Amino acid sequence: MKQKTSFADSLTETVSENIPATIVIVATVVLAVVLGVVGDPSQVIISIITGGMWALLAVGLALVFGVMNVPHFAHGESFMVGAYVAYFVFNPINTYLSENPNAFLSAVAPFVAILASGVAGAVLGVILERLLFYPLRLNSKAGEWVMNAFLLTVGISFIMTNGTTLLIGPNFRGIPGYWEAQPLQFLGTRVSLDRVISFFIALASIGVLWFFLRRTRTGRAIRAVSQDEVGAQMMGINLNFIYPLTFSLATAMAALAGGSLLFMFQAYPTVGKTPLYFAWFVVMMAGLGNVIGAIVGGFIVAVFQTATQQFVGISWANVVPTALMIVVLLLVPHGIFGAEVGE
Amino acid sequence: MTSIDLDLERRQAQTGVWGTVRGVLNRLGFSPLGTALLIIVAVLPMFPYFNQQHILRWLIAGALLAAQAAAFDFTAGYIDVVNFGFAAILGVGAYTSAILANEMPFLIVQPGISPWIGIWIGGLVAGLLGLGLGWLTLRLRGIFAAVMAWFVGIALLGLVQNLTPLTRGALGLAPPTLLEATSNLPYFYIILVMMLVVYVVLRQVTRSHIGLAFKAIGQNVSAAKASGINPTYYKVLNFALSCAFAGWLGGFYAHYYGSLTPSTIMPTSKTVEVLAIAYIGGRGSMWGGMVLAFPFVFFIEYLRSSLTQLPGLHLVIYGVLMVLVMIFYPDGLAGLWNSALERIRGSRG
Repeated sequence: MKQKTSFADSLTETVSENIPATIVIVATVVLAVVLGVVGDPSQVIISIITGGMWALLAVGLALVFGVMNVPHFAHGESFMVGAYVAYFVFNPINTYLSENPNAFLSAVAPFVAILASGVAGAVLGVILERLLFYPLRLNSKAGEWVMNAFLLTVGISFIMTNGTTLLIGPNFRGIPGYWEAQPLQFLGTRVSLDRVISFFIALASIGVLWFFLRRTRTGRAIRAVSQDEVGAQMMGINLNFIYPLTFSLATAMAALAGGSLLFMFQAYPTVGKTPLYFAWFVVMMAGLGNVIGAIVGGFIVAVFQTATQQFVGISWANVVPTALMIVVLLLVPHGIFGAEVGE
Repeated sequence: MTSIDLDLERRQAQTGVWGTVRGVLNRLGFSPLGTALLIIVAVLPMFPYFNQQHILRWLIAGALLAAQAAAFDFTAGYIDVVNFGFAAILGVGAYTSAILANEMPFLIVQPGISPWIGIWIGGLVAGLLGLGLGWLTLRLRGIFAAVMAWFVGIALLGLVQNLTPLTRGALGLAPPTLLEATSNLPYFYIILVMMLVVYVVLRQVTRSHIGLAFKAIGQNVSAAKASGINPTYYKVLNFALSCAFAGWLGGFYAHYYGSLTPSTIMPTSKTVEVLAIAYIGGRGSMWGGMVLAFPFVFFIEYLRSSLTQLPGLHLVIYGVLMVLVMIFYPDGLAGLWNSALERIRGSRG
């Protein structure tokens, strides 16, 4: 008979097994509080919202690496595609709306644009996987797959960034905002409706993905492949279905992030650089293939990033996280959430 | 019967003056064809088309790229680690040399050291950086080491941009040039010599017991450890050497082009350019990227100047080539060349 442990007992047990993770989480919460008190409460809100986005991106990255064993370096470009699609869908509608105001359409149009970006991402994912990764898998020798796939994504990133500059032009395409509404009051600060909704979109997407992976048959198949490819095949799982699906999911999520953050990031060829950097940062800290870690890690990284911007200065935004990571790796070579980054 | 005769022929060919010359060249890492190509490149500036100043600039860019590709491949091809911070480390070498040469009061230091010495110090600093980076990343699996190098590269870029009293940040520096002369020709021979030094030194290392250790680590780490090889030591050595050369070349960059900003030499995209050449040329060969670099620079520059209404097309072609090579010809041009040679030799014997 299983003894029912008290909540306190199981909590202590979890904490003592994961000291580094606990330290980081506690530190993050403390930092967030400090940020809110010393800095500006809106910074905390922004951290949470950005965190949701990084989580969305990192989850896709973790999924692609965990399931397909591909270190995806063109993930930021999926973000870029989402941003552009959302722009080209929303902008004409917006122009139409400025002459023919329509309350319903104004409320719905952004959703249409964001949905379009997600769909575009999904399609892009399937195309990339079938067109490029499938032949690579056929041609690649067993030991070289990871490196080859990685380099392939580097090439893809290069093509997509420069191809966009070539075809669409390097100009920034931006929108002033999605929804024209009064900023919401929350805990004494004002947050724009755009940010709030984008946060909920991120949460919803992660939630849907979570449900999909945990509760559906296909989701279980994906998890099976990430654990043991050969075993999964023996169970009758068709890899030629799982791979495009997984890649498409990840790309769709990144594109969704890009689309819903159009008001913040705008659309330009190299917009994917920063999201890529932070997605990888989260994943390095939290662990490849580790979806929960990616989600939590997204928020942690966002808090640290905002704190850096607030207390040290925006220009140090790239230096401090890396320095932090170096310190972390020196102290905890296995990564914070058991990243298995070591040899 | 035939094979014995062929062996005899070959053995006879090694003697005599010509045989000795071939032997020496071989020892240095040059096949007969390689030597021929080298000589051609070296004497090109004497020909009418190639002695124009802007063509000389292309040749210099080609030699610089070739040298970088060799240094990069030393790490990527031999210990299977993609040094994604390569351009940033080159930039550190460039900046070190430029700052040391500085005599203007707009920076907090004005040592005024001659560029000829500064280049070496730049290489040293970069080498030390490589030592540290190697030690930091050696404990990570291949792909994570590459990502870590990427992060460090970005951090270095940010650092250079932020330490304005030292580097003038995004404004950049205008370091003094190596020579007073305005002609590009002497610079071409300088960079050519530097390129040769990089190749010969690295080639000697790969042929030594150190190179053997690299191969052992690459094939089976556990077996290597069991044989008494310390993977840590060799990985760090490799990184340090590759980065030292990168910094050295960076010094040349600074004192040839005479203008230096963080965003022109240190971003990740610059590393990707070197990476593309090294991989398309053939990873692990070192010479593949070098041979590819020259025609490549010419091709790119030609495209850039003739197709001005399609900006970035040359970069797209770059990327497409890399993707094609990655999927269909992972061993690059060097691999294609070697397999072609084998087929020819096989049909002969």
